[in-house]
Amino acid sequence: MLVVHNWLKDYIGDSIPSAKEIEELLMFHSFEVEGIEKIGEHEVIDVDVLPNRSSDCLCHRGIAREIASITGTTLVNDPLQKEVQLQETDLISVDIEDKEMCPRFTASLITGIQVKESPQWLQDRLVALGQRPINNIVDATNYVMYAIGQPLHAYDAEKFPQVDGSWKFGVRYAKEGEVVSLIAEGGKDEDRDVVLKGTELLIVDQSSNTPIGLAGVKGGRFAGVDENTTKIIVEAAHFDASLTRKTARGLGIVIDASKRFENECSRELPPYAQQEIIALITDIAGGASEGTVDLYFQKKENPEVIVRPATANALLGLSLEASEMESILSRVGITVTKNADHFVCVGPWERTDMNIEVDFIEEIGRVHGLNHIDSVVPDTVALTELNARHYYSEQVRDTLIELGFSEVITSSFRKKDKVKLRNALASDKGCLRSSLTKGIIDTLDKNAGFTDLLGTTDTRVFEIGTVFHKTEESIGEYVALSLGVRTKANGYNPKDDVQVIAAMEALETKLGASITHDIQKAVVEINFTELFESLPVPTAYEPVEVAEEIAYTPFSVYPAMTRDIAMWVQQGVDIAEVSKVLAGSAGELCVRITHVDAFSKDGRTSLAFRLVFQSMDDTLTDEQVNPVMDTVYQVAKDAGYETR
Amino acid sequence: MQKGHQHPLTQMISEINSIFAEIGFVFAEGPEAETEHYNFDQLNFPPDHPARDMQDTFFLRSEDTKEPMVLRTHTSPVQARFMESHEPPVRVIVPGKVFRNEATDATHEAQFHQLEGLYVDKGVHMGHLKGTIEHFFSKFFAGEVEVRFRPSFFPFVEPGVEIDMMLKESDSKLANKWIEVMGAGMVHPNVLKASGIDPEVYSGFAFGMGIDRLAVMKYGINDVRDLYTGDLRFVNQF
Repeated sequence: MLVVHNWLKDYIGDSIPSAKEIEELLMFHSFEVEGIEKIGEHEVIDVDVLPNRSSDCLCHRGIAREIASITGTTLVNDPLQKEVQLQETDLISVDIEDKEMCPRFTASLITGIQVKESPQWLQDRLVALGQRPINNIVDATNYVMYAIGQPLHAYDAEKFPQVDGSWKFGVRYAKEGEVVSLIAEGGKDEDRDVVLKGTELLIVDQSSNTPIGLAGVKGGRFAGVDENTTKIIVEAAHFDASLTRKTARGLGIVIDASKRFENECSRELPPYAQQEIIALITDIAGGASEGTVDLYFQKKENPEVIVRPATANALLGLSLEASEMESILSRVGITVTKNADHFVCVGPWERTDMNIEVDFIEEIGRVHGLNHIDSVVPDTVALTELNARHYYSEQVRDTLIELGFSEVITSSFRKKDKVKLRNALASDKGCLRSSLTKGIIDTLDKNAGFTDLLGTTDTRVFEIGTVFHKTEESIGEYVALSLGVRTKANGYNPKDDVQVIAAMEALETKLGASITHDIQKAVVEINFTELFESLPVPTAYEPVEVAEEIAYTPFSVYPAMTRDIAMWVQQGVDIAEVSKVLAGSAGELCVRITHVDAFSKDGRTSLAFRLVFQSMDDTLTDEQVNPVMDTVYQVAKDAGYETR
Repeated sequence: MQKGHQHPLTQMISEINSIFAEIGFVFAEGPEAETEHYNFDQLNFPPDHPARDMQDTFFLRSEDTKEPMVLRTHTSPVQARFMESHEPPVRVIVPGKVFRNEATDATHEAQFHQLEGLYVDKGVHMGHLKGTIEHFFSKFFAGEVEVRFRPSFFPFVEPGVEIDMMLKESDSKLANKWIEVMGAGMVHPNVLKASGIDPEVYSGFAFGMGIDRLAVMKYGINDVRDLYTGDLRFVNQF
C-alpha cells in the first residue's frame, strides 16, 4: 500500500512525524516498510500492510490512525469519527437477491455537476500513488477509496434508465453462461467480455436486468461518466469477502477494489464514504446532493471480548500494570470497560480483526513495544524421544563418507512417474519421484567427468530422501537410501559394482543388520524407513560440532582441461615443495594440481602431477593453456627438475 | 581413501538437532505429501482466506486421493500432528523439505528446507521464544547473538512476529548487522484447540525459518538451486 506523507498530514496534523520516522514507527509496531520514494513534490511510503490489518489499513486514514495509536496522539481530522448526516431519497431503489452476500448497499444522487479535470492537488496525490487521473468524478471515487478504504463507483444518471420516476439497482447472482463486459484493466486497451459460471454476484440495472458490473470486482461501461455528464449516482456497497475473492481469483482480476472487499473492510464504511465523496464532488465539480439510499440488512458488530491483564502479561512475558494496558488499548481506539480482574473490550468498528482475547493482547504487545520483552532460555530438560530416522541416517552418512561417498539431495520432481501433480511448475516436473535411483544415475552421469577437477579417483554418491507411491486411496511415501559408483567417465563398468558391494557390507556391519538389496549397474536403492524401523531404538545422539563458516566459491560452469607433467627430481625432494613450484607458475587458470604418481630409480625420483585448468568466463582452448604449460615446464627446469 | 563430503543441508540439520536436543527439543517429522487438513485447516487457515495466497501450493490430483492433498508448503503441519499425539509439555523441532509452486531463481527453489520449532507448556511466553532463538543462533554462529521482534502475521500464531538477528563481536561477515531470519509467534488458540490442547491451560511458541537461507548466510552460497542439483562441484566444497 502506497501512502503519501502529505495526505497523512490531513488526518494527523502538523505534528506528523517525518516519513523516515514513520518508517521506523511502523517497522517496530505495525508493518514492514519497503521504502520511501519521492514522486513529484510528494514523499511516498510503501507500507506492507499485513493480511490481518488489510481490513482497515489499506487506506491513508487507516495508516494515520495507526501512527496516532503508536505515538499516543489523536487525529486532528478523522473522517470515521464524523457524524454521518445523509439526506434520504426515494429516487433510487435497490433489490438484493442474497442479503448475506451483499449486506449493505448505498447510492447517492448528485446533480448539477461539471465534469472536468481534477484540481492539481488531487491529481498529484493520485499520480503519487501510481494512478492515472481521468476526470474529477472518477478521480473522486478513487480518492475516497485511498482515503478511507471503501470502493465506490459513479454512474451517469442520465444514461441509467429511470423507470416510474426512480433508478432501480439490482444485485443478483449471474446466470450460467451470462456475459458481462468489464472496463479494460490497467495497461490494456480493450474491454474484457467475461463468461460467468453463475456463482458470481452482479450489479444490474433492474429495469432491464442488464449487468452493469461484477459486484466487488469490477465495473462495466454502463452509464459511464463523460464530459457531458451533469447528474451522477455514486454507489458504495459491501460484498462478501470470500465470494469476492473467489470471483476475482477465478477471473484472475486483482484490483484495488476487490482487494479491499476480499479483506473484509467494514460494512459500516459505505455511509462514511458517501459523506466524503459528496463533500469532495460538490467541492471540485459543483452541484448538490439530492439524497442517499442506504439499505443495511446484516449488521455485524465487533464482539465484546474479555481481556485479562494477567493473561496478557503471561503470554507476552511482560509485567505491565493493568492501567498501562488500559491506556494502550484506549490509544488504539478500543472501548475498554474495567472490571475487577479483567477488561471488556470492543475493537473499533472499522477493524474486523479484533475478535478474541489474543487479538487484544497482540495490540498491547506491539503498541507497547516488542523490544521490551526480555529473553528467557527455557530450562534444560531431557529428550523424551529420539528420531530413529535421523539417528540411523547419521550412521549411514558417517559410514559412506568414510568410504569416499558424497551426499547429494536431488529434485523430488520427475518428468514421468506414478504420482502426478495437479499443477506442475513445468512439464518436466509434473510427477513425484517413486525412487531415488534415477536421480543417482543422473548424478553419476553428470559428475563422472569432474574427477580431475575435483581431485577424486572416481565418483561415489548417495542420497537419503522421500519417495512417493500411490496407495488405495491416497499417496504414500517412505524414506529411501540410494548409492552409486562410477569409476570411468564414459559410463557403467562392471568393476564399479565392487565398490557398491563393499559399501553395502560396511553399512551392514555398522548397522548390525543384513540388508536385502539388489545392485543394478553399480546403483542400489533400499527402503530406509523399513530398515531403520527394524533396528534398535536409539538412546543418544552422537555429538555434532558446528561446522566452520567456510567461504563457498561459486564454481565455473565451463569444462575443465587437464594436462599432466612428469619429471625427475633428486631423491628426497619434498612432493609438496615441487607442487608449490608448479602452482606458482601455473597462473590463475590452474584450479587444481594433483600429485598422481611417484617412483624411484637409480637414486632419482620420478614425479607426475596433473594440472587442471578452468575459466569462470569461457571454455578454455589449447591456445590459452599451451603457453601456461610452457611456462610451467620452464619454471620446473629452472628449479632443477628434469622434465620428461 | 579420500573421504566423501556431507551435503551442507544435512550437516546443518545435524547441528540444529544437536543444539536443540541439548535443551530438550525432539526431532519430529511428518509426511511431505500432506492433507490440506493438516497443511491449512488445522493451522487456522480458513478456506478462501487471503492468507492462503501467501503460499503457492502444489496440489495432488483429486482422483488419486480420497482426502484433498498437497505437497506441504511448510513444516508447520507437523506441529498439529505432534500435538495431537503428545500431551504437553511439547518441545519439538521439525527440519524437512517443503514445496512452493513459484518461479525459481537464484534465491527461490520450488523445493527447499524449513526448520519448524514448537514449545507448548504451562506459562510459555514470548520471552521464551526470544531466549530460545538467541540460544540457537549463538550456538549455530558460534558467537553472541541478539534477536529482535517486529510485528507480523501468520494465521497459526497470535501475536505473530518477524525475527531479526545480529551477531555481535565476531569476525564473521554476518556480524554487526540486523538480518531478517524467521517468522514466529505464540501458537494461535485455534491451533491448540484443534489439536486437543486447552489454550486456557497451555500456551506455546512456534517459529519457522528456511534452512537454505541459513546456508546462504553461513556459507555465502550464491544460488540456492545448487543445493538440489547433485553437482559435486558444489557439494565437495563442504
